[in-house]
Amino acid sequence: METIKRTFKRNILALGCILVFACETDVTDDIDLASSPPKLVIQGGLERNVTSPLPQQQIRLTTTNDFLSDEPNPAVTEALVSITDGTTVWIMDHQGNGIYSNSDLSPQIDVTYTMTIVWDGETYQGSDTLNEVPPFDRFFTEFEEGTIFSPEGYFLKFDTTDPANIENYYYYRAFRNGEFVIVPDPGNAQILIASDEFSDGQQIIGADINGEVPFQVGERATGQQLGISEEYFNYLFQLFTQTGNTGINFGGNPPPATIRSNIINLDTPSRRAVGFFYTADVEEDTLTITE
Amino acid sequence: MKRTVFSILFCIIHSVSAQREYTISGYVKELSSGEALFGVNVLIDGTLGTTTNEYGFYSISLSGGPHTVVVSYLGFQTISEEITLDSDRRVNFDLREESNALDEVVVTSSSKSNDVRSVEMSVATLKTGIIKKLPPAIGEVDVLKSIQLLPGVSSVSEGSSGFNVRGGSSDQNLVLLDDATIFNASHLLGFFSVFNADAVKDIKLYKGGIPATFGGRLSSVLDIKQKEGNLKEFGGELGIGLISSRALIEGPLAKGDQDEGRGSYLLAGRRSYIDLFAPLLEDLEDTQLYFYDINLKVNYNLNDNNRLFLSGYFGQDKFAVENIFGNTYGNSSATLRWTSVLSDKLFLQASGIFSDYNYEVDVLTSGTEFQWESSIVNYNFKPRLSWFISSGNTLKTGVDFTYYEFNPGEISPLNNSNTTPQEFQEKFALETAPYIDFEQKISEKLSLQYGLRLSFFQRIGEELIPVYENGEPLTYNPTLDLFEENAVLSETPFGSGDVIESFTNLEPRASARFLWNETSSLKASYNRNYQYLHLISNSASATPLDIWAPSGPFLEPQFSDQYALGYFKTLKDNAFDFSVEAYYKDFRDITDFVDGADLLFEEAIETQVVQGDGRAYGMEFQLNKNSGKLTGWLSYTLSRTERQILGINNNEYYPANNDQTHEVSLVGIYKLNDRWEFGANFVYGSGRPVTFPTGKFEQEGLIVADFDNRNGNRLPAFHRLDLSATLNPKKGGNGTWIFSIANAYNRQNAATIFFRERTQEINDVDIPLGTTEASKFSFLGIVPSVTYQFKF
Repeated sequence: METIKRTFKRNILALGCILVFACETDVTDDIDLASSPPKLVIQGGLERNVTSPLPQQQIRLTTTNDFLSDEPNPAVTEALVSITDGTTVWIMDHQGNGIYSNSDLSPQIDVTYTMTIVWDGETYQGSDTLNEVPPFDRFFTEFEEGTIFSPEGYFLKFDTTDPANIENYYYYRAFRNGEFVIVPDPGNAQILIASDEFSDGQQIIGADINGEVPFQVGERATGQQLGISEEYFNYLFQLFTQTGNTGINFGGNPPPATIRSNIINLDTPSRRAVGFFYTADVEEDTLTITE
Repeated sequence: MKRTVFSILFCIIHSVSAQREYTISGYVKELSSGEALFGVNVLIDGTLGTTTNEYGFYSISLSGGPHTVVVSYLGFQTISEEITLDSDRRVNFDLREESNALDEVVVTSSSKSNDVRSVEMSVATLKTGIIKKLPPAIGEVDVLKSIQLLPGVSSVSEGSSGFNVRGGSSDQNLVLLDDATIFNASHLLGFFSVFNADAVKDIKLYKGGIPATFGGRLSSVLDIKQKEGNLKEFGGELGIGLISSRALIEGPLAKGDQDEGRGSYLLAGRRSYIDLFAPLLEDLEDTQLYFYDINLKVNYNLNDNNRLFLSGYFGQDKFAVENIFGNTYGNSSATLRWTSVLSDKLFLQASGIFSDYNYEVDVLTSGTEFQWESSIVNYNFKPRLSWFISSGNTLKTGVDFTYYEFNPGEISPLNNSNTTPQEFQEKFALETAPYIDFEQKISEKLSLQYGLRLSFFQRIGEELIPVYENGEPLTYNPTLDLFEENAVLSETPFGSGDVIESFTNLEPRASARFLWNETSSLKASYNRNYQYLHLISNSASATPLDIWAPSGPFLEPQFSDQYALGYFKTLKDNAFDFSVEAYYKDFRDITDFVDGADLLFEEAIETQVVQGDGRAYGMEFQLNKNSGKLTGWLSYTLSRTERQILGINNNEYYPANNDQTHEVSLVGIYKLNDRWEFGANFVYGSGRPVTFPTGKFEQEGLIVADFDNRNGNRLPAFHRLDLSATLNPKKGGNGTWIFSIANAYNRQNAATIFFRERTQEINDVDIPLGTTEASKFSFLGIVPSVTYQFKF
């Protein structure tokens, strides 16, 4: 079903592009956008990575700024951040530039972690549960020729077996020479995340890590399969739908709206935070592209 | 209630029959073709009057003795005849079209919305005559584009045939082609409408004061009648344009040696060929992009009193990119109608209608080839009886039966691909609506039209209906300010024909006209309308991928109340007329999307939409110039349309997608001489509401926009000028040239403005740069075109 949706959306886009051929104008300098008071932004979450264990767990806090501003988001440096599993409390210390970290916290499967942030006189809180991810059965590359929808090059592929009788949600990340790569593509909402709704317990063969990111010979390519919660899956779905939107509404995209965070402002609920505090189990593999 | 209605009726009938009266009735037709004329004024002794119905039939009761009958219709020569009545009489009239050669003053029928004497208000009629003189939008004269030039009617976006009437969304228009409901009136994704101007006789748009004879939609009725065909002689017309070509033939049936056939036929077709230019662009080499449609009408007089009509429409759009994608969609409809003059005062009509809208998408990406099909089929039976009780008193009653079959979607693999076939459940519904409508003349000055419609809608099986936790598909969480989907606990099976849910509603309608003096009147109207079908589509325009959902266990019917008040005035012996109308409309249970909705291939539509309220109010001004070398109109609309829906915009009112504060249309047709005619129209509209981001943040390496208010911003104002020149044939010739320039000063009107992260293409991959931009999409710039028309 997801494949169908993906192909469909892309094709609808192609159709739209043909019809509005060459009628796009950059109006960045002509637009005056209203600004709203800065909101707290949560970036990052807890990752359990057995392949390459993280030296520390970290998140980053910033605030929103005007959409057309070229300035980066201002870092939040004076927040009090802590994470708990219900028994232990880990304090996340500010390391500079809005990054808060802790090297004692080692995330465990099936545990719910709650993060509390005190900032600007108000308390924010949210939680997520860490779900186990199945391993790659195979991790390999395939050369694909370019089409009008996709570039040419070597693509990261994998086989994996979905655990039967439990709901699973996945998120896929690609890294080029250790750098995370992502493209604001309309297909992201369908290809970078997946649920096992129609494939529970089955082996998935030859799936793409990221079909928009080709690799060249000699590059070091890393792929990650993340086990995530249903809430984070829904969040990423909206995130990728919005960032992949090309502005043409032929496919019936939903109207733009704030993507709701899992972090709630306990003092003033209407003063919301954005971003997501996630917990994920990470399966990872790396190879070097050869001919 | 019932008893009161009947006793009133009885009184009227009684008082009427107490006088010694005779009835004069008959048909009014066009002399040259025998085509019935609708809306012709029949005026007796300068005081009593009536108009012909859709079939050109009129009936009026008068005291015995001599009378002067004046039959007049804009654009035709008036007939005045002395008639002495000593018994019921059947008198037919043939009207001759006003010939320009005979008459120095050129009369063009304009939008006849300002009829001072009629009880109807908020109504506009346009004849194809005038539609064809307006500048074509993109090389093709378009019926729906021309009604968008009327006050209170606006378009969703530049290249769209979806239209909004008095704040209603585009699915709230009942579009009827010879009584058959057309679900999607667009060709080529809205750049053209499905109505071929050659085959259309006239169109009538009800923006308010909708009589009880119509139902099923909240905001308007667009009643389109196809031409019947020439009863007298065979003829045809060919039109060759840059974008499409068309042909039409018509002629009499069973004519023999008579002056007129017993029947007539008309067959018209169109085919566009934009895709012929596609190979010029390398990227589009393997693209197919075209539409075609066929209109057919046959009518046959069984005898003087009984006629049969058969009309049909078939149209299809095709868009395809070889080996990648294919999309076909279209409407087909067939209407069989019987009209019978039962007596001089009783007119019966009965129609059986079939209508089908379907779309199909073929995805041909290798390995996952599949076909997606969806359709709405409906069958109607509509009997109606009109009783012309006496002058100014007419009663219409009937029942509309409709049976719907919705096929929301079916996926099947193509080319032996491994796509799993899937089918969404079909949905079935039955709508029964008896109605009664009464037009009553209280005095010379005061006339009323009132009626009642009882709509009865049933969702029927066979269908599996989910049982949701908490009894509803969505629960609103006030802390998070969002809707949460509830789990499906089980499913209740309903057998074939079992009633799943039913709704019964009363729809009262009323209008009044007070004739101030011979040249001015005041009118007021109220109507309540129910709508049981919801178009679930976010795109402001009607796309071919429409999802229509019937009301049922989780979707309430929507309804509206409209109040309107108007002042109508004619000036300088009908050379000008002026009207101003004010309206207030209240909507209930209209649908909108929950934040973050995703509709594509979603079977449980109820989990993606919420229902709420809306309101619309405004004023419309129109000044028509009906005679002289220059004719046309100027109209201005000031309006506001808002919605209030739980979970959207912090639960406060927000401007609806189709809210437009100011709208101005200026339409002019200038006849220079017998050969040259010029047309121009200029439209200006305030920018539509849109939602622009109020902030940005970073997430997973991408820049994400944050939004505060739904529709809190506006697109720039919309304006454009279209021009045309028509070169009519010399005497005895039959070829016409039409030159036109759409969007003459090449205004790049914004269809949308959107915001995104800037990217840079490196090795074929769009790498995000971390900075942002705003980008404007506009449809068409200046489009010159030429069409050649040939009559034979």
